[in-house]
Amino acid sequence: MTGPKDNDRIQLLQGTLDLLILQTLVFGPCHGHGIATNIQSTSGEVLLIDHGSLYPALQRLEKAGLIASEWGISDKNRRARFYKLTRLGRSRLTAEAGKWEKMVRAVARILRTEGQEA
Amino acid sequence: MRIPRWLRWRSHDDLDEEIRTHLQYEIENNLSRGMTPEDARSAALRTFGNATRVQERVREGDPLAVAGSVVQDLQHSLRLWSKNPGFAIAAVVAIGLGIGVNAAIFTVANAVLLKPLAYEANGHFVYVQGAEAGCELPCDTARSYPDFLDFRAEAKSFDALVAYAFAAVNLSDTREAPERYRAMKVTANAFSTFGQQPKLGRDFTTADERVGAAPVALLTYTLWETRYGRDASIIGKAIRVDDVPTVVIGVLGPKMQFRVPLDLWLPLVPSGQWQKRDHRGLMMLGRLAQGATLQSARSEMTTISRRLEKEYSAADKGLGISVLEGRDYFNRRIRTVLVGLWIAVGLVLLVACANVANLLLGRAVARAREISIRVALGAGRWRIVRQLLVESITLSTAGGFLGWLLAIWGVRAFDIAVAGTGKPAWVDFSMDYTVFAYLSAISIGAGIAFGLVPALRLSKVDVHATLKDGGHAASGGSRGRFLSGLLVAGQMATAVTLLVGTVLVVRTLLTLYSSEIGVKTAGVLTMSVSLPDTTYSRPDDRLNFYDQLQTRIRALPGVEAVSLASSLPGHEGMSFAYEVEGSPAKDSGANRDVRGLIVAPGYFHTMGAETLAGREFTGADSLAGMPAVIVNRSFAAQYWPGLEAVGRRLRLIEGGAQQPWLTVVGVAPDIWQNETIRREFQPLIYLPYGQRPLGGMSVMARTRVPPATLAQALRLEVKQLDEHLTVYALRTLDADIELHDWAIRVFGSMFAIFAVIATVLASVGLYAVVAGAVNQRLHEIGVRIALGATSRDIVVSVLAQGMRQVAIGLVVGLLAAFGLIRALRSLLAGTFRPDAATFLIVALLLIMAGLVACAIPARRATHVDPLVALRLD
Repeated sequence: MTGPKDNDRIQLLQGTLDLLILQTLVFGPCHGHGIATNIQSTSGEVLLIDHGSLYPALQRLEKAGLIASEWGISDKNRRARFYKLTRLGRSRLTAEAGKWEKMVRAVARILRTEGQEA
Repeated sequence: MRIPRWLRWRSHDDLDEEIRTHLQYEIENNLSRGMTPEDARSAALRTFGNATRVQERVREGDPLAVAGSVVQDLQHSLRLWSKNPGFAIAAVVAIGLGIGVNAAIFTVANAVLLKPLAYEANGHFVYVQGAEAGCELPCDTARSYPDFLDFRAEAKSFDALVAYAFAAVNLSDTREAPERYRAMKVTANAFSTFGQQPKLGRDFTTADERVGAAPVALLTYTLWETRYGRDASIIGKAIRVDDVPTVVIGVLGPKMQFRVPLDLWLPLVPSGQWQKRDHRGLMMLGRLAQGATLQSARSEMTTISRRLEKEYSAADKGLGISVLEGRDYFNRRIRTVLVGLWIAVGLVLLVACANVANLLLGRAVARAREISIRVALGAGRWRIVRQLLVESITLSTAGGFLGWLLAIWGVRAFDIAVAGTGKPAWVDFSMDYTVFAYLSAISIGAGIAFGLVPALRLSKVDVHATLKDGGHAASGGSRGRFLSGLLVAGQMATAVTLLVGTVLVVRTLLTLYSSEIGVKTAGVLTMSVSLPDTTYSRPDDRLNFYDQLQTRIRALPGVEAVSLASSLPGHEGMSFAYEVEGSPAKDSGANRDVRGLIVAPGYFHTMGAETLAGREFTGADSLAGMPAVIVNRSFAAQYWPGLEAVGRRLRLIEGGAQQPWLTVVGVAPDIWQNETIRREFQPLIYLPYGQRPLGGMSVMARTRVPPATLAQALRLEVKQLDEHLTVYALRTLDADIELHDWAIRVFGSMFAIFAVIATVLASVGLYAVVAGAVNQRLHEIGVRIALGATSRDIVVSVLAQGMRQVAIGLVVGLLAAFGLIRALRSLLAGTFRPDAATFLIVALLLIMAGLVACAIPARRATHVDPLVALRLD
């Protein structure tokens, strides 16, 4: 249902969004809306996420066994589905976060090098 | 239908609730920031994005949910089609016809070519026979028993090698009238190699195939059932096989069917002739050993055959070996026909698919609006294509069901049409899983084939334009018209190809029926009698018997003339090596062969084919008389063109020795005497029965009364002379010739049926497109009429549009047919010669069909009321 261009964008977002979701869940189980607002506020409102794209991502992660979910009652006394990190998810997060930092450093170094030569 | 909750990764309601909760939180957040309730709500929705799309994307990741939404599509399409029954029925009938003919032909092909026989499942069997050097396949010949023993001893490729020989035998016992049956002589290892033990009694043993052993026989289940009423007490009893007392040692199971129809099996006892290396009479059947392949077996057998050829050059010179898979060995001729039919029904299905695709394109106007609303609501392109494909597959599945019913009926009709034409007992036309799988595959395949193009086209619909102008943009575009014009032209082209093939077959058929056989077939009754060597060992016994029989039949009321011949018209004669006096052998070394018949006095008179020169054989052409021969016109023309043939001499070469000179006493007209469907005349010689009395002869009687009424009388005369004798092939000469032509008659009418279906489908397709175009042009036509265009102008403009597609189809189709015929030339073996007339007939047929299809919309166009048409928009 998505065209190729659309696909590219999602691919790019996907890995990042997955990583951010996993990171958010490190601090404990949370429901969908909580995850979305958490990412937004933690990033200093820099990252605007499309709340809708959260749910396919959550489903993907749950299918991959990185998170688990169950219905529970939220702080506002409302029925909500809570997601929590599995052990597999936790170790994947460690690995992915390491890779991410490495990549960020590498990209930053390249950008800086280019700047000096210019 | 809903997927049960426990089956789903997550129910739709679950997700709905989760999204609702999410929005609720967001709205509350927004409210707490001081927004108005309305703003809070719309902001929350904006942040969330397209909820429907989210749900769909979540579901797409879940196979069961996808299944659920496919079920939704299915429900949707069932609703859609039940609301448009006319359209659905038209599409289902078209596609059902296409699938039906395919399934029917596949069922037949499956029964003949694919289903293995019970014994063939017991290992990998290959068929081994001799091959004449320098002769193109198929030209199998048999090998001798000593050759077989050498092959069996030396070949490592087989863990078992069985030799077999066909024989027609007379069977008599105390129960019923003697009858002629089909027997197979086999080496004793046959049934153990086949893994088929007798159902009753015992198998052959090596003791049974020793020279001098007491004769034994195994009955097939069919014979045991039909002649002996499944009486188990027959085992151990003696019956007479060709007048030799033979003990029945067992009955085979019903599953033991050979590739040719058989009634009983006899052990191959290598006595007398069989001991000679030049007595070729055996075919072989080998089971490949572990690790051997067809290729390795072939090369090994070739090596052995070459050695035998060198070692026994007198007997085996020029003799090769051929090793073939069963399907290549037994079904060569029928396979050609089936492949032809398969192509034909494939083309029919193609036309049907193009037809339905066009119908679907025609509906684009109606659908475009609905589709663009769905797109506007957030459905992705793939989702739309999927829905449209589910719709077309629903149609094609219904078509498949209809096709299945048609196929059952068609196969039954085919079964009846080929009944009594020697259909082998092992051919079982029941539908098995293979047929079912094929049926399902083509049903779904057809749905995708005709649905994909319209679906892809519709899914690209321009939402804004469509919603604005009510859907005309989706179908009216020049691309849409081009596409449907292309489909119609394609259908026409396919129909033309099929028509050319059919006209060729039908014309061949007509030529065959009208062509001269060389005899007057009406009013002749024929039967065959075979005298066993044991009781009629001396020539005089046989002469005596047939003299008496002819005298008796001649005395019957209603009989005009009686004679004998070694084979009837339309059957292959015997083969003689010969030389003509004064004519040097053209290719010395190799023997020249000519076909020949042995006939009794009065044969040509009885057949209504009086000699052209000289005389017929008479009673004087006996063993005591001068050796005589009659040649036919072709033979005379070959050796003595324009000269007197009577009085010239030729001689036969038998067993390598020149026989006494034969004097030509007469020239006979050409008579058709071969097994192929082409009625061609070839050089023939006739030898007098008085000088070569055979045991097996055909008797023919020309009658003044309807010939069939004398059948019982003829049978009775034979019985009164010798009650152990068998009468077979008792039928009129006309019926005998009919039997010859059954294949071309049945297959010819099948081609015709398929071509008619394709042409009708293509014409209906053309009609639909032209009618649709007229509908869209109503406004323009109204304007033209208002401006003073005559009916003639309007008709011409509509016809021109439709006939342009017919013309394109015709040209492409004729070219394709021409190419197809060239490609199939080797298969057709020169039977069908395309000519200008064929192409002309097809062109006329198609133009007529096209005119009829265009005439109705054209008529309608002339009746357009300009006032009404102008007010339409």
